[in-house]
Amino acid sequence: MNDVFKKLLIIFTMMAILVSCTSPQTVKPNEDIDIRVIVKKQNHDFWAVVEQGALAAEREFGINVDYVGPASEEDITGQIRMVEAAIEDKADAIVLAAIDYNLLVPVAEKARDAGIPVIIIDSNINSDRMLGFVGTDNVHAGRVLGESMVESLGTDADIMIVSFVKGAASSNEREAGLMEIIDMYENINLIDTLYCNSDEEIAKTLTIEAIRQYPEIDAFVCLNAYATVGTARGVIEMGMEGEKKIIGFDSTPEEISYLEKGVIELVVVQNPFSMGYLGVKYALDAVRGITVPKSVNTGAVVITKDNMYDPENQKLVFPFVD
Amino acid sequence: MRKRSKAERAMEYIGRIFRFGSIQSVITLSFAALSMIAMILIGIVFYSSFSENARSNATASTTQIMNQTRLTLEYYLDSMVEISDTIENNLDSFTSGNIERLEDIIELTLDIREDIESITIYADTGAILLSVPNLKLDANLIPAAQEWFRLAAANPFEYIFSPPHVQRIYEDIRPWVVTLSRGMVLELAMGRRGYITTVDMNFSRIEEVCSQVELGHRGYIYIIDDSGRIIYHHQQQLIYAGLKDENIQKALASDTGSFSEKVNGEEISTVVMDVGTTGWKMVGVSYVDEIVRNRRNFNSLIVLILMVGLAFIILASIYISYKISQPILRLEHQMNRIEKGDFNVENLEVRGEDEVKQLTRSFNMMIERIRGLMSQIITEQEAKRKNELKALQAQINPHFLYNTLDSIIWMNENNNHEGVSAMTAALAKLFRISISKGNEVILVKEEVEHAISYLTIQKMRYKNKFRYSIDMQEGLGEYKTLKLLLQPIIENAIYHGINNIPDEGRIDISVYSEDDTLIYKVSDNGYGIEEEKLRNIFKKESLSKHSSGVGLKNVNERIRLYYGEDYGISIDSQPEIGTTVYIRIPLKEVGNE
Repeated sequence: MNDVFKKLLIIFTMMAILVSCTSPQTVKPNEDIDIRVIVKKQNHDFWAVVEQGALAAEREFGINVDYVGPASEEDITGQIRMVEAAIEDKADAIVLAAIDYNLLVPVAEKARDAGIPVIIIDSNINSDRMLGFVGTDNVHAGRVLGESMVESLGTDADIMIVSFVKGAASSNEREAGLMEIIDMYENINLIDTLYCNSDEEIAKTLTIEAIRQYPEIDAFVCLNAYATVGTARGVIEMGMEGEKKIIGFDSTPEEISYLEKGVIELVVVQNPFSMGYLGVKYALDAVRGITVPKSVNTGAVVITKDNMYDPENQKLVFPFVD
Repeated sequence: MRKRSKAERAMEYIGRIFRFGSIQSVITLSFAALSMIAMILIGIVFYSSFSENARSNATASTTQIMNQTRLTLEYYLDSMVEISDTIENNLDSFTSGNIERLEDIIELTLDIREDIESITIYADTGAILLSVPNLKLDANLIPAAQEWFRLAAANPFEYIFSPPHVQRIYEDIRPWVVTLSRGMVLELAMGRRGYITTVDMNFSRIEEVCSQVELGHRGYIYIIDDSGRIIYHHQQQLIYAGLKDENIQKALASDTGSFSEKVNGEEISTVVMDVGTTGWKMVGVSYVDEIVRNRRNFNSLIVLILMVGLAFIILASIYISYKISQPILRLEHQMNRIEKGDFNVENLEVRGEDEVKQLTRSFNMMIERIRGLMSQIITEQEAKRKNELKALQAQINPHFLYNTLDSIIWMNENNNHEGVSAMTAALAKLFRISISKGNEVILVKEEVEHAISYLTIQKMRYKNKFRYSIDMQEGLGEYKTLKLLLQPIIENAIYHGINNIPDEGRIDISVYSEDDTLIYKVSDNGYGIEEEKLRNIFKKESLSKHSSGVGLKNVNERIRLYYGEDYGISIDSQPEIGTTVYIRIPLKEVGNE
């Protein structure tokens, strides 16, 4: 009889194991996951919208998102320190908008070495070890810029490109896309490319100088928000609104104001909300072991004075900012 | 090694449980199956009633939460309507030239109501008559091109609520607002005047009200207008950014009320209700399992109970069936040995349930009885053989043969050829019949002939010291009889009865039948047998070869062994007068074995 009970015990144990196997295994719950979002600049129109996207993801998935960024977009060491801190704090994942294409590589790879998934948003870095990139396809955005410029100016024009940082990946790519279009039209004449170092005042100064130097300029094609705003200010200072056309990038309130007043002809708008949201979403996926897409283009849309209040566009141009 | 054998035994045991058709497997399986069906049925009933309950609870709680939100929202919207009505009541200010008063009212309202972004009065041409706050107007705005203006102008006196949009009345101020616009027509002395009034409420107020709604962890509400445009959605930005999609068609098509559906295996309860008179619909989406947290727990509880219950039932049924079948199996095992012929099995232990006890007891008794019968048969067979041997010895009693042969020689020497011939013939007949090809059964007439031959020889040897008579009933000769019954009796009568009496001896033999019994009756006029000797005549072992009764006992036993206890020998004896011996055997015809 004793033996029989031993056997019954064995059967019972096997059943208990079976029961316990059906209950789900424990994984780290969402509320314990910390995702560090490190952007280029903390309180700026563009990055505020990125933050909203990141916070929307935080709310939706019930995770913790820390949103940090240096005070200035030139503070490379500050941003590197922030990545270091994230590694030290053992963040579950890092979402990074790199200020510099090359200088952020070592610290980002150090994070990868520590087993932390890294998703790059907006501005990529020179490393193939990052899990994914979410941002504007800048070459494509450059082409959109060029095409809408041709639509606006015609095929016979003298233009000036106002870029931001010489050697920056995004500016190079936008320029390349733009040049593809310019090269298609022999009567579109590129006078020169100016670099404003992402400084509105420098852009303004350069614009004024350029107008003086080359009175034949028809239009300025600006490759980011600082360049656009600075150029607009310069044109206004010269009293040449509408005369020197501005093809811009991004949609800060100042740009929108100029757009409405006709100072700026059109802007190509990115989708920063999607960058923030998708960056965090894919970071969470990576923590969960789900494969994330290597590269996601969040798109670029042309906004003019006429279409800016269309329901689908006003959502992009005027984000809800609390 | 020990472990392995244990494992083998376990396998064997499991094999026995699942051996189809064994009592144990039948009981175990049917018991387990029945209980499982019962438990599953109970589980289903419990689950479905609980589930239904959970669903209605989820709907009720969703509806309750949404009602509160709807009331708050309606409060804000109603207040916009009130403001709009206040303006309408004071529209005559434009004609009476008392615009300041209207402006004061509006400014006061705006001071009190932080959620109101701006209030503007347009002429039906689109010209702005009054706008509070009084900021620099945006020259680019063409009111008549705006939807809220057109709808109000086309539907005078109706309250038109716009979806959230960017208000652009003032230069460089771009708030997201919901606009209540209303067209009014005043019949004045100077003619009809058309006005459009707008009240802009900051959208963040609606968002604030709605975003506080919690329908479980992932549940949410959204608001659509009558053409399906989204007024509020908790993931409005995601939808605007094209990252999310809400299937509003179903909500748009459905009346107020609730419905539930399965999406990706999850039960989703959707509640739709109207928001005031705006034409808006508030839709609440909740995950039933979240609202009623218990349900998931309840599910796993049911599963757990089922599993544990099932395990318990299986164990119990294995145990019960083991208890029932074990004694039977043991019985079966021992019966198997007996079946093979081993009767030396010790008695089975009487234990277990009553039925099994009874069965065991009966089985034990049966074995006992078989054992007794078998030993009886063995003894009987032994006795039979012994008696047959004795009978055989009697047939060829050597003294009898020597004496007879001596008599023949003696007669021959005296030239009594007649006597030699008769005696030799009688001896030959005697032996022929007594041997009779080894058959134990002969005809009655042969038995009688045998007796005659014997008597003939003895009479000649005893020189006619006695006489004999044989009287056989007609027709009995052809019946069958055990052989050599008469001769020993006659021998007894001669040696012990009449040998030493002074008178002439007499032996009278008669053969007759009574009912189905054949009777040989042998009477002599000898000494008779003493009463005490007679009483013990069949009991005593024969003391010596020649003592009286040896032949009697032998014959009696042979008859009994052959024909049964009903037959045998009985003796009537009176001392000094004589003895009568009755031999009874069944009347059996030839060919009727």
